[in-house]
Amino acid sequence: MPGIDECLLEVMRLPGARGASVVDWTSGLALGTIGESPNGDHEATAAETAEVARMTAEQPAFAHLAPDGGPQDRGEAPGTPVEDVIVTTHDGYHMLRFVETAFDSSVFLHLWLDRSEGNLALARMRLGELAERLVLA
Amino acid sequence: MSAIAADPDAPGTDRPPVLSPMLRRLAAERATGALMRDRGTLYLADGQVVHAESPATPGIDVLLTAGGALRHEGWWDAVAQAGAHRRVGRYLVEGGHVPGGALELCHLGALYDAAFFALAPTGTPARFRYGVAHWIGPVRPVPVAAVERETLRRREFLDRIWPDPACDGAPLLRTSAHPSDAPVPARQRRLLELADGVRTASDIARTLGRSAFHVLVDLRRLAAAGLVEAVRAQPLPASSPAGRIALPEVTADPDIALLRRLRDALEAL
Repeated sequence: MPGIDECLLEVMRLPGARGASVVDWTSGLALGTIGESPNGDHEATAAETAEVARMTAEQPAFAHLAPDGGPQDRGEAPGTPVEDVIVTTHDGYHMLRFVETAFDSSVFLHLWLDRSEGNLALARMRLGELAERLVLA
Repeated sequence: MSAIAADPDAPGTDRPPVLSPMLRRLAAERATGALMRDRGTLYLADGQVVHAESPATPGIDVLLTAGGALRHEGWWDAVAQAGAHRRVGRYLVEGGHVPGGALELCHLGALYDAAFFALAPTGTPARFRYGVAHWIGPVRPVPVAAVERETLRRREFLDRIWPDPACDGAPLLRTSAHPSDAPVPARQRRLLELADGVRTASDIARTLGRSAFHVLVDLRRLAAAGLVEAVRAQPLPASSPAGRIALPEVTADPDIALLRRLRDALEAL
């Protein structure tokens, strides 16, 4: 039965993984962290990435939301239709993977990959699997 | 940016304010027991926070059952089977009722949320009962320092979104204003639908099975957009339902129009 720590240990086995965390995007709280953080402060990084995750999750362009906020998609899907956000920098990749839970939550996995050692396609697939396994036993 | 730097607690000092000297002391002596404060209870084991609850925010039972992660019978079965041994959490996971990761995520979220409310400023002295353990049992202990840091960060976070706490405790009513620049996100829209002039943030959180702190965050965003406002207390003392927490109002009648103009001016900077 994997928990947060086991999930993060698995994430760090990906080639080029430098650091990872489980973050709540409404509050910006880091629920679990491992490895390095880009600015040396996992909590600050969590608050910053949470803002990006929130903006993405709530953008009408990604959410098939009626432009007038109409009753079109009221209440059916608990989470966001967005699966992940990928940010590429000079020397790294950042991947935010939304975690869907059976209770109300706003959780995502953040993985920081070294650009020369990381494999984006592999990491994206694996992170998706681990996000599912984290909450599906 | 429309953030207003306001730190009345410690002008000119970098040291964060101490939320509860008693909690600090209990952490230092690695105490085990329950710290009962005005607005909630923190459970400690070996000086670490293992659980927290507050009447202001739904408990882990509500969160798990409202979303369908667990059926009501499943919850009560777990409490009956493992409550006396104080290992309900482990029972839920080992019996395959709730995945281990899901329980940790839900419990941690509920812990920080309840701690945020439990550590709210109060004039009532706290009490500590040594040796008391919560029936949920060990899930994922958190250092006291982390809980204190997060609680302070959350207060600043709320004030950065909209520096008026009027909506935090009062009954809420949606305004007739229409969202101007952007449509209201689905999660916030569900809150708006429940703002009927009677429900408070805590009521809405319980109805939706959602963390009350998450509700506060979305409410401050809605208040900043002018879409929701607090219902002012009526002059006649209506019999308030028991259990509802009456928050003292700092300002009896804040000038909403002035606040709006202030916000607009700040955003225009």
